[in-house]
Amino acid sequence: MIKVIPFTVSAGIVGFESPAAEYTELGLDLDALLIDKPAATFLGLAQGNSMVGDGIFDGDILIVSRAEEVKHMSIVVACLNGEFVCKRVDKQNRVLRSASKQHAPYQLREGDDFSIEGVVIRSVRMHKPVSLNRFQS
Amino acid sequence: MMYALCDVTSMYASVEKIYNPKLRNSGILVLSNNDGCVVALCPIAKRLGFKKFVPYFQIEKAAKEAGIVALSSNYELYADVSSRMFSILEEYCDELHEYSIDEAFMAFDMPLHEKDWLQLGYDIRKAIWREVKLPVGVGFGPTATLAKAANHASKKLPGATGSSVINTIDERKKILSQMALADVWGVGSRLSKRLTDMGIKNAYALSQQPPKKMRKYFSILLENTVRELNGERRLQWDDVRPAKKEIYSTRSFGQRITDIEQLKFSLVTHCEVVARKLRDQGSLAGSAVFFAASSPHDDAPYYKRSVYHQFTVPTADTREVIKGAAAAIAQLYMPGVRFYKAGVGLVDLRDKNFVQGDLFNVSNDNPELMAALDSINARYGRHTMHFAGRGIEQKFAMKRRFLTPRSTTRWSEIPVIHCK
Repeated sequence: MIKVIPFTVSAGIVGFESPAAEYTELGLDLDALLIDKPAATFLGLAQGNSMVGDGIFDGDILIVSRAEEVKHMSIVVACLNGEFVCKRVDKQNRVLRSASKQHAPYQLREGDDFSIEGVVIRSVRMHKPVSLNRFQS
Repeated sequence: MMYALCDVTSMYASVEKIYNPKLRNSGILVLSNNDGCVVALCPIAKRLGFKKFVPYFQIEKAAKEAGIVALSSNYELYADVSSRMFSILEEYCDELHEYSIDEAFMAFDMPLHEKDWLQLGYDIRKAIWREVKLPVGVGFGPTATLAKAANHASKKLPGATGSSVINTIDERKKILSQMALADVWGVGSRLSKRLTDMGIKNAYALSQQPPKKMRKYFSILLENTVRELNGERRLQWDDVRPAKKEIYSTRSFGQRITDIEQLKFSLVTHCEVVARKLRDQGSLAGSAVFFAASSPHDDAPYYKRSVYHQFTVPTADTREVIKGAAAAIAQLYMPGVRFYKAGVGLVDLRDKNFVQGDLFNVSNDNPELMAALDSINARYGRHTMHFAGRGIEQKFAMKRRFLTPRSTTRWSEIPVIHCK
């Protein structure tokens, strides 16, 4: 987003200055709303339907914070055996849970390569699809 | 006042592991421009005996056999992760001085004994690992030179834990006497050889030399180093990195160039780079040097030519630099030569605030236009807006055969997170 305050020039003879002119301010900034700590936040593309019960659909953008505390049953992004996965983390039972009946819980085992990357603090749904590839150069 | 130096262990290799989960447990090598030689290795690759600064073609086979993954330098990603780290470091100190892409000095405005510095080092390490996933070492000292020495100790000395402090005389003696001269900030390998010849064996021995004597035999810089090693502050941030007196942009081509148009395009790109760097440091250039050369390793006779161009009025305007390049190109180009390298240097630099006006020659610079150009490119990517003289399709563009996704700066390359 380009942060500019729109500035209109009004010459006295044309008419009255808009009474709203004094109230112009910066537009709303989605980053400021959705991202708590930019340095510790990354974005990812959700792929698959195992988290639909939590409102995360295929093609959604996940906003992931590494600064957020991981609590029991937090929705997290984890690195599991060489892949990023999105799951709810059942800390008491060391289980990764999906939010869909079709997807069985995953019991963490000895020898799994596992680390929690961050907490999914928000997700963005594209009701009208956006092609990320249009930003390719 | 306390200083700290925080730096990342194998920055490029460490960054590559953040957004590429498949690489977390593989050995990786990061290659220089044009995939020329190895510039960074992860600990796994180091353990297997691979080394830095080796040409890639020499070890390509061995690396593949060992299952080591070679990657091109992903500067977009490194720069983004680096700025994330710096913004977190800023929370911990009163002043941050970014020294390079992977290290920064921190300054703390408080008495030396007010804080548990060692613990602060651990806290910083933990925060940077948790929030950015980079491994760092932190060293503290009452001067920048001692902070740099403590940083070395935090990673390289036996029993290193990633944080170390030089605050007392005992700590200073213990760390400096285990440190080679060449590891002292400001003492290069040539200087350390001369010092060794004088019987000065290590950093501690250097710190025991009379400062005046060091100035007499060497320079005021070495006197400052000795004083700093004894806890006396001599260096300011500004001394740490003064504005550059010359700015160069040069690069070898991905493939040889024989065509005058391509050579011109490449020079124009370099003009854009140097002029932007010049504006970044608030200088004007009095002259420029343009050069082009073939490779000394090719069979044909070596060809190198450079053209010196003096600006009528000192400038920081990309258009003026490009005009100089356009005038130089006819002298640089030679039909039949397979050009391997070209570049632009801006020399005779001065501070833009201290330039005398010239009654007869008026500057054609347009600082507002240049500021607009710089801010557009800073915001939307390096070459969003560029000069037509650069050409649309560049044959010489850098070879980056093994480039990983620019995960944090391109929408089309953000990581996939599986929900399955």
